[in-house]
Amino acid sequence: MIDTAITSVTLPEVMIYQVARTIQDGELVFHGYASPVPTLAMLLAKRTHAPRMVHIEGATYSVNPDPPFLPPTSNDWVLERGGVMSLGISDLFDIAARGDMGRMFLSGVQVDRYGNLNVMSIGSPASPRVKLPGSGGGCNLSGDVQHVTIWTTGHRALANKAGKRQFRFVKHIDFISSIGHVARDGTTREALGLRGGGPEWVVTELGVFDFDPLTRVLRLHALYPDTSVQDVLDNTEFEPVIAPDVGIVPLPTPEHIALIRRFDPLNTHQHEFKATDLARRFSL
Amino acid sequence: MSIFTSEHKQASLADAACIVRDGMTIAIGGGLSWREPVAFLRELIRQGRRDLHVVGTAHGVDVDLLCGAGAVSVVEESYVGFEQDFGMAPNYRRACQDGLTKVYDTCCHTLIQQLRAAEYGVPFLPVRSVQGTDFLQLHAEYKTMTCPFTGLPLVLVPALAPDVAIVHAQYGDAQGNLKILPPLVADLLFIRASKHVIATVEQLLPADELRALQPNVPYFWVEAVVEAPYGAHPTSCYPFYSYDRAHLAEYYRAAQAGPETFAREYLDPYVFAPATHEDYLQRVGGIAKQQTLQSWKDGDDAWMALFTTPEGAIA
Repeated sequence: MIDTAITSVTLPEVMIYQVARTIQDGELVFHGYASPVPTLAMLLAKRTHAPRMVHIEGATYSVNPDPPFLPPTSNDWVLERGGVMSLGISDLFDIAARGDMGRMFLSGVQVDRYGNLNVMSIGSPASPRVKLPGSGGGCNLSGDVQHVTIWTTGHRALANKAGKRQFRFVKHIDFISSIGHVARDGTTREALGLRGGGPEWVVTELGVFDFDPLTRVLRLHALYPDTSVQDVLDNTEFEPVIAPDVGIVPLPTPEHIALIRRFDPLNTHQHEFKATDLARRFSL
Repeated sequence: MSIFTSEHKQASLADAACIVRDGMTIAIGGGLSWREPVAFLRELIRQGRRDLHVVGTAHGVDVDLLCGAGAVSVVEESYVGFEQDFGMAPNYRRACQDGLTKVYDTCCHTLIQQLRAAEYGVPFLPVRSVQGTDFLQLHAEYKTMTCPFTGLPLVLVPALAPDVAIVHAQYGDAQGNLKILPPLVADLLFIRASKHVIATVEQLLPADELRALQPNVPYFWVEAVVEAPYGAHPTSCYPFYSYDRAHLAEYYRAAQAGPETFAREYLDPYVFAPATHEDYLQRVGGIAKQQTLQSWKDGDDAWMALFTTPEGAIA
């Protein structure tokens, strides 16, 4: 079905497409709860370039579901619709622990240069200034899963009420709830005996990143049509590596966009985005 | 795990709640906005239970409600929040930040291994993950060792046997056999690992009718069973009802406004004032509300409408 009426695409839809592009055909892929962007990316990937992908849904653990809409909560029967069956919670985490989970999606309120993530707390862990909801399965899965795609819609460092800019991509991470490439004491994930390969891609509202193979530091790979290298540098507290051939991300086709809109008639994914990013649109 | 052989386990909410005592470790069934035994938790609050240590995976209003009532001293969950729907859990967050509850976050596979160790009757199980994260510093009871077979480092996590597992099942019988419909979340792990199991059920069926449904929890693990229709409200319990998003929005507004407002506008009218569970159901909207929450069965449009109610509309 080609929807010729679609002539522009929103930034959230472009981000969903970038996340989808990190999925390889034939991988067993899992998204966590409260993750509409990866959920839509998985639904999209399986219906386009990755038909053999095994889709495991985030809280119901439904296998290859085809939900009629995304509700704003993750553990709902609608998300099992069209699925083969629902796995048990132990089945799911055992798949990862024995090395059979190909990809997972994680986010964080703090991200450091090595892709370590914090969704636990800001300030001292024992008496936090801000207690965040917690890591779910992210702590274990960050060690076990073959490849991790990180996504966040909060790269831009906005000022708080006191006028202090709040960086999400930080020099110092308050609590490592998910392990990236290098631990706090400088130990690499390989030396820790972890089975998974760690973060492979990072998709934000400012650009798409991978990790420099030598230094393991976050590396800018591509920008959006309306962002610049300077935007990335200004909004990242540490100094990221800039790839020599930074390009512009490919935009989804009208077919991709029509699929995303069909999957999410309630626009549940928009809840993840700030109004300024919802307003960003690109002509096809 | 204990064995409970009584033929007659049916109890009232008030009697069953007496099994839980101050300071106990409790595992709450369900997860996020699905099949949480909230009617039972309201009864625990009414009875003034204190210093509870709650364990679990990804939870929401259940743990937040207990925190808001000051009933919890340790939270060992992997997540407590209202997802992208409403956001962070206000009472839980305040309790952690004000030092009223110990911050003791866990992670799903870690907890699964701890519960399975209890289920298997072994003192610990290993995980390969967790290394490199700060959870090792948060949990002094986790140990590390070099695997004698592979030479690689491992984290050992101790068996965790909750004092009481509390689950809400769709169906049960008076002997305590249960049929829980998926997603099962961690319910079966909790039931097998815990010392006591309390079940609330949507429908208490005659033994032969329950048997025809192929129960997935045998009676001898269950100490008490309570019939509590809409006992998971405001979370969902399909095929009976969807979650009550409008009520959760009201809950969230009260919780966000601070402890005094939460006590006055939520705990008083919905937890302390109702004399019975039936009274609670009347206060949250009675038959009309129940019909609305059942309307997910009327097709995708009706189901979608439950997530776009004006009160709970996406901001």
